[in-house]
Amino acid sequence: MSTGIDWISLPLVGLPLISSIVLLMFIGNVSNAAREKLGPSIRMVSLIISFIMLGVTTMMFFGQMDKMADWSTMNFGSFNFEFSYVWIESLGIRWSVGMDALSFPMVWLTTFLLPITIVATWNEKNASVYFPLILMMGGALIGVFVALDLFMFYVFWELTLIPMFFLILKWGGKDRKYASQKFFIYTFTASVVMLLGLVTLYLMQPEQIVTGGKYGTMTGRTFDIPTLVSHSQAANANGMWFLGESMQKVLFVMLMIGFLVKLPTVPFHTWLPDAHVQAPTGGSMLLAGVMLKMGAYGMFRLPLAMFPHAAEFFQFWLLALGMVSLVWGAVVCLGQTNLKKMVAYSSVSHMGVILIGIATMQPLGWAAALFMMFAHGIISPMLFAVCGAFKHHYHSMEIGAMRGMAKHSPWLATSMMFGWMASLGLPLLAGFVAELMMFLALWHFLAAENWSVFWMVGPAFVLAITAAYYLWSMQRTIFEGGDDTQPPASLHGAPVPDIADSEKIAMVIMAAFTILFGIMPWIALDMMNGWTVAFFEQLLIPILNGGV
Amino acid sequence: MTDGIEPFGEGFVTALAPEFVLVIGLFTLMIVPNLGDAKFRIPLTQVRIPWLFGGKRGTLDSDPRLPGIFASVFFVMAFILAVVSFIGGMETKTIASGTNELLKVDEFSRLFELIFYGALALASIASIDRLPATSRKDRSVSGLYNNRRQVDFYILLMTCGLGMSVVALAQDMFLLFIGLELASFSTYVLVAFMKETKEGSEAGMKYFIVGSVASGVGLYGLSLLYLWSGSLQFEELSAHFNATGMDPLPLTALGMLLVGFGFKVSAAPFHFAAPDAYAGAPGPVAGVLATASKAMGIVGLLRILLVVASPEGMDDATTVWLVALAVLSVVTMTWGNLAALGSTNPKRMLAYSSVAHAGYMLAAITAIGALNWEADHADASRNAALAVVTALMFHLVVLVCFKLGAFLVLSLLESENGGHTLESLGGLVKREPFLAVAMFIFMMSLAGVPPLAGFLSKLLVVMGIVKAALLESGSGSITFSEIHWVWYLALIMVINSAISVFYYLRVGLVMFFNEPEEGREGPLPNGTSIRFAIVACVASTIYFGVGAGQLIALCESAANALVGAW
Repeated sequence: MSTGIDWISLPLVGLPLISSIVLLMFIGNVSNAAREKLGPSIRMVSLIISFIMLGVTTMMFFGQMDKMADWSTMNFGSFNFEFSYVWIESLGIRWSVGMDALSFPMVWLTTFLLPITIVATWNEKNASVYFPLILMMGGALIGVFVALDLFMFYVFWELTLIPMFFLILKWGGKDRKYASQKFFIYTFTASVVMLLGLVTLYLMQPEQIVTGGKYGTMTGRTFDIPTLVSHSQAANANGMWFLGESMQKVLFVMLMIGFLVKLPTVPFHTWLPDAHVQAPTGGSMLLAGVMLKMGAYGMFRLPLAMFPHAAEFFQFWLLALGMVSLVWGAVVCLGQTNLKKMVAYSSVSHMGVILIGIATMQPLGWAAALFMMFAHGIISPMLFAVCGAFKHHYHSMEIGAMRGMAKHSPWLATSMMFGWMASLGLPLLAGFVAELMMFLALWHFLAAENWSVFWMVGPAFVLAITAAYYLWSMQRTIFEGGDDTQPPASLHGAPVPDIADSEKIAMVIMAAFTILFGIMPWIALDMMNGWTVAFFEQLLIPILNGGV
Repeated sequence: MTDGIEPFGEGFVTALAPEFVLVIGLFTLMIVPNLGDAKFRIPLTQVRIPWLFGGKRGTLDSDPRLPGIFASVFFVMAFILAVVSFIGGMETKTIASGTNELLKVDEFSRLFELIFYGALALASIASIDRLPATSRKDRSVSGLYNNRRQVDFYILLMTCGLGMSVVALAQDMFLLFIGLELASFSTYVLVAFMKETKEGSEAGMKYFIVGSVASGVGLYGLSLLYLWSGSLQFEELSAHFNATGMDPLPLTALGMLLVGFGFKVSAAPFHFAAPDAYAGAPGPVAGVLATASKAMGIVGLLRILLVVASPEGMDDATTVWLVALAVLSVVTMTWGNLAALGSTNPKRMLAYSSVAHAGYMLAAITAIGALNWEADHADASRNAALAVVTALMFHLVVLVCFKLGAFLVLSLLESENGGHTLESLGGLVKREPFLAVAMFIFMMSLAGVPPLAGFLSKLLVVMGIVKAALLESGSGSITFSEIHWVWYLALIMVINSAISVFYYLRVGLVMFFNEPEEGREGPLPNGTSIRFAIVACVASTIYFGVGAGQLIALCESAANALVGAW
């Protein structure tokens, strides 16, 4: 535990959560007219707060804070800016935060997306409630990534549902009621199964005689994640399964249910297209950009770290699930006529890439998964921003609704093309790096373990399909029609506008970072790689090399 | 126990100070609203002595809000006295007549008194300016029931509180039953308080009939117990049970008592009256039924199952009632949740959700029954039992915050004839943003969404059950098949709580999504006191979710008073 300023709890978690609650309480007490009038200033306050957060994390990235270790050479199990305070002493629950190279890219990504989301949806209606909710969402998401206490992790995990539920409910499309309910219930159900797993894990750990501090005075057990991981590490070093073989498998499955639904993988993915299609642009951007990654992050943080034996045992199933998600998501994309739904299914497909990367149990595969989380976190918000602009201008999401966009709205057409290209994995853009790494890792894994080479068919096939659905939708919306195309009927003859300046700014920034991380992936990859290698050295190599 | 305090002996009043406050309150409520300018003429003379009872009353003591204010003050005083006795270092005091223990004041019973008085105080504060609930254009003071009818309401609330605390304090089955009946009869009348409405009289009738049958069955079980052991003292019953517990006679008696208390906690299949009663009763009364009255039933169950048919005395690993109670709990929680899914009346929905919560609590009690009390496991078992009882106590305390709060919001709607259909909640966020947010917080807490109190209480219950199930894993390793089957109760419970999200969320959807019904556009009728009670509920729901450390410690000390002796 370090001393000094608690850079995580105060500016990154506390500031957005508390300020959003204060803003909402303030807004709840003024009249409707005043609410309208206050919208722009509240938007500005939210933007400033999000810039403060981005500033803090960027300074963290450049190592400008006191007493922090370099991200890419951190020891496994040590954390920067670690702070903990007693929360509920009798159960050993603490407010305990810290960041390592696994969580930092996700936290930076969240703080990066918050101002972008605010700018990209600058003109959202009901601004005085919308922007505080976006802030609250950001605070809750960061809380998930920085939590080093299982209880706190779960609290923030569930807390993210509430602002998202309202974002979909109040600003969503026609079927928003259904979508928000489905979203909430689906993920909540998965989380309570995970919760039972967490509680069982908590009570299975060896009981301490000396309590106090992180050990609960009533239970003699702890919710502290690093402590639990070190218990697991100790068991592995003795050549044993942490908590015993059968329990480890059961707990692994229970935790994974929570994370796989959030990720989501086929067959648990059906909430995602509904939620995305109905969600407002800002909600979709955060949902696809960060919220999905909570699932993958959770896997790395809990089940993979604590139950590596079980992870190896279920390797085949993880790989199969990842493969099915990858292929199924892509195939379903081919059949979509709704632009946003297509993008949503392409997210499912990309999440499959992450799962495959994890399932390879190779350092390269894991680094690929981590980088995919990051790259998809920049690219997919851009896709959804494009979809939002499309909907905003043409009052329709149908792919055939607008043709010849290149002529009518060149900015939108360019952003769309760029986003689509980034998502299908064009070289020199961020997505390509992750996909390439995943391919290499999968090849390496198949060769090393003598698995059938037919596992490669799926990903190869998907490369073609992905190109097909993206190019096809682009051709239909951007280029088709030539000079004589008419604006869609839904515009009622009004001239076709191009995207607003605020949207242009957001698009350009996202595009710039996609290129940046495509050309110089090592900016983020170094720390991910460092984390992965340390993880493998500490936890997995003893097991994979026949430790048991 | 010869060192106990004799009834009305030295220290009796101080030991039972909160109860005596209620008794004083009862007399005050009977006397004050009747004070007038009546004079008494001495016979055969013309001398008139001011007699004060009857006659023309002053403006102050005929104010319809007076009884409510008085009752609230007395409830709050009783509550504060109970809190003070906790803070001032709890001393266990036994009230005994000769060698018979009658009442026992310890942390356990005090905490239950806190629950009862807290719930009743909130209900009474909330009722000050809202009776009657039926719609009247005229929402001024003169639109309330006149104060003689109001007095009845608060007197009944007070007797209800007295009965409940007797149940919590009792060390003797007979006293426990007296307290139970005192509280029950008060609630029968309270449920039927809006006798002019169809729902009110129906609710009262159903609740009374089913309740008295359940009480009768319980009483018969009690008489069988007496027949079998010759005593109704808990300690003697317990000793007797350990000796010959497996006889058919005590088992029959136990089953019958389960029926009696099962009705009080509204466990399936004895819950049929509950939805009707909750729907017809005034909102605050329904809230009391769902919280304080349920807590009273749980005390009874704890006494019967854990003290009398005590698990710790059993030679074999399990208790007699283990499987029966497990089945009961699974049926109760599943039935409650499924029925709540289909109900469109929010009060019925809350009633069924209260049934589901009863199922969770029964599951927790079941887990205690699954413990192994052989010598090498006794310490671990005591710890696990402590965890479960702590969780139960915590659950009951925080239930007062959000369950009662939800009923209070509905009760505000009742005052414009709403609250009986989900649609009447429509657009609440536009009419009263604060109430809508409060209701949403209550619903999320009921569903168990962090960081609200309901989440923590559910977590504690699940934790208690899992801890009991994992008892064998002292060494840290256990295979999945070795886990005691009560673990599956925890699984069923979390799945049930996932189902329950659906109907809790629906309330939120209606409030935030639907337009207000026609004729319900404006803000709700005024009611300062009920709004104050709702604010208190919201604040405590959030506070006990975020900063529950002290409350858990309190519950633990209370649980220790029950479990520590094992």
